[in-house]
Amino acid sequence: MTVGGGATSAPAKFEPQKLRIYGIVGSLVGIYLAVVLNQATGTTVFSFIAAIGALFGVVMGANAVRRVCSYGIGTGVPSIGMLALGMGIVAALFGLNLGAQFGMDWLGPIIALIYSLIFGYVVGLIANRVMGFNIPVMEEGLTDLSGAGTLAIIAWSVAISGSLSYSSIVADVLNTGFIAIIFICGGLAILHPFNANLGPDEKQDRTLVNGVMVGGVAIVATGVCALLTQGMILGLLQIVVGFVIWYYFFVWYFRLAKRDAAAVVGTGLLPPSAL
Amino acid sequence: MDAFNMGLVAAMGALATVAGASEDIDSDIGSQSNPNSQVQLAAQVGNPHRIYNKAIAGEPPSNALWCTTAAIMAYVMITAYGMPLIFAAAAGAALAALFDGVFSVSAYIGRSASQARFNQWIYLDILRYTTPSIMAHVWITSFCIVTVSIIQVYLLTPHHPFPIPIIALIWGLTVGAIGSSVGDIHYGGEREFQWRLFGQGLNTMLSGQIVRKAEAGLRNSIDNAWFCAKFGGPATGMGFGLTVFLDNWRTAVFDPVTQSFAAIATGIFFVIVMILYNFYCELSARRKYGPYPGYKGDVAA
Repeated sequence: MTVGGGATSAPAKFEPQKLRIYGIVGSLVGIYLAVVLNQATGTTVFSFIAAIGALFGVVMGANAVRRVCSYGIGTGVPSIGMLALGMGIVAALFGLNLGAQFGMDWLGPIIALIYSLIFGYVVGLIANRVMGFNIPVMEEGLTDLSGAGTLAIIAWSVAISGSLSYSSIVADVLNTGFIAIIFICGGLAILHPFNANLGPDEKQDRTLVNGVMVGGVAIVATGVCALLTQGMILGLLQIVVGFVIWYYFFVWYFRLAKRDAAAVVGTGLLPPSAL
Repeated sequence: MDAFNMGLVAAMGALATVAGASEDIDSDIGSQSNPNSQVQLAAQVGNPHRIYNKAIAGEPPSNALWCTTAAIMAYVMITAYGMPLIFAAAAGAALAALFDGVFSVSAYIGRSASQARFNQWIYLDILRYTTPSIMAHVWITSFCIVTVSIIQVYLLTPHHPFPIPIIALIWGLTVGAIGSSVGDIHYGGEREFQWRLFGQGLNTMLSGQIVRKAEAGLRNSIDNAWFCAKFGGPATGMGFGLTVFLDNWRTAVFDPVTQSFAAIATGIFFVIVMILYNFYCELSARRKYGPYPGYKGDVAA
């Protein structure tokens, strides 16, 4: 698939710096808003806000995959997505645990984010200097990816458990095994957009819309998990939110695909030039 | 060893065989994984086609996703709502199939749209009749894998300590990896490139020159399923089924705690037998069909 590749220059309408800021701020706001509203009302009704917040991180991650992988990494797209979530899971648990040790659960996501950004940068350095990838945006890309993976994991964990406390996340997300779906669904949300649109005529807006669409699917999955941890009504609420996001962005994505494709036909033979 | 456990191990082997077969056929219908690179290349070297392009992250991660999705649904249904085990697995598999449909459709239209300059059209009829076939096979795969996980956690003694979603994730990765290495060779080697000299490998010159026309009309992905169901699918099923069955058989016969040495020795014995059998297969193939036409004798290093 390597040969498929994207355009090496990766023309972009949205600057990575802007997307990075939107990603980090959006996800953190989502996480904290959900936790604060949950605590204020004494319920877990607002957990879905954290799930929506994760989408910002996902978009930032998908854009980072797009930038790094445009340098001819085709078969490496899935690997880099898994790497992002792998780094994210370590950073998220580290940050949340450290926050709990200090007795300040709210500090967890910040510690995790800082740790993950440094972690990603170091992995990027190793990839470039030691393994010799020689991709100019590798360090920057892996920093973004690591941050995006961490934010997605924390946000979706909060969406399932309804709180930021380390003990409740361990009980609701890790011991139940729901971390598996966060890991794999989050990974797909970050890597699938570019993977699904790989090719010389890949467009940034289509790729990112696909990212949000897959994020919607992931929210459906966390909603299913929430059926167990938060009860039927709140689980269904999250499933409906995920479905609406998926549907809206799927229709959008299909519109963009129609815009970019050579032709969209109901049926037919090969293009006349190829017969 | 007791008869009930042994029966469960046999059932797990059978389920894994079915899962392996359907997993491979699912990826062949969608042209996922290794053979996907040629489907992707075809349009770029001037051969637009009517073959599905389901590029979802390679088989191991994508199957891990389907199986984990099915597993969370089944786990939630069992734990929170007391649903019978088999119904819960079926409900989970249904959700996994829906997820698969979403990902498949987005990959097909995305990849085709990104090849606009090579005149690769998006055919909606392909989406309509191929996607349900893919989803159906994913349903079978994830149902079988989740049932295996449920057996391991709830029925087999000693119960597996991991939660169902984690076990399903690992089995999903495994079935994807085995499908990718066993069955895809059959699809990529025998179906995409039908005329090759024995032992030739894929000549670089032929990259992307896949077979696009069928016996009548244009080839589509359902034709590939028909072809791969004859050998690639069953071979993958056998590979995965044997992996699950033999691995669990040795710990069912020998107690893993008191007779751990015997269990480990049996495992090593199986590995040695497999290596010898593979060696025999290779020799036998060379004897019957060889030597390789391009073979000019060993070249000194």
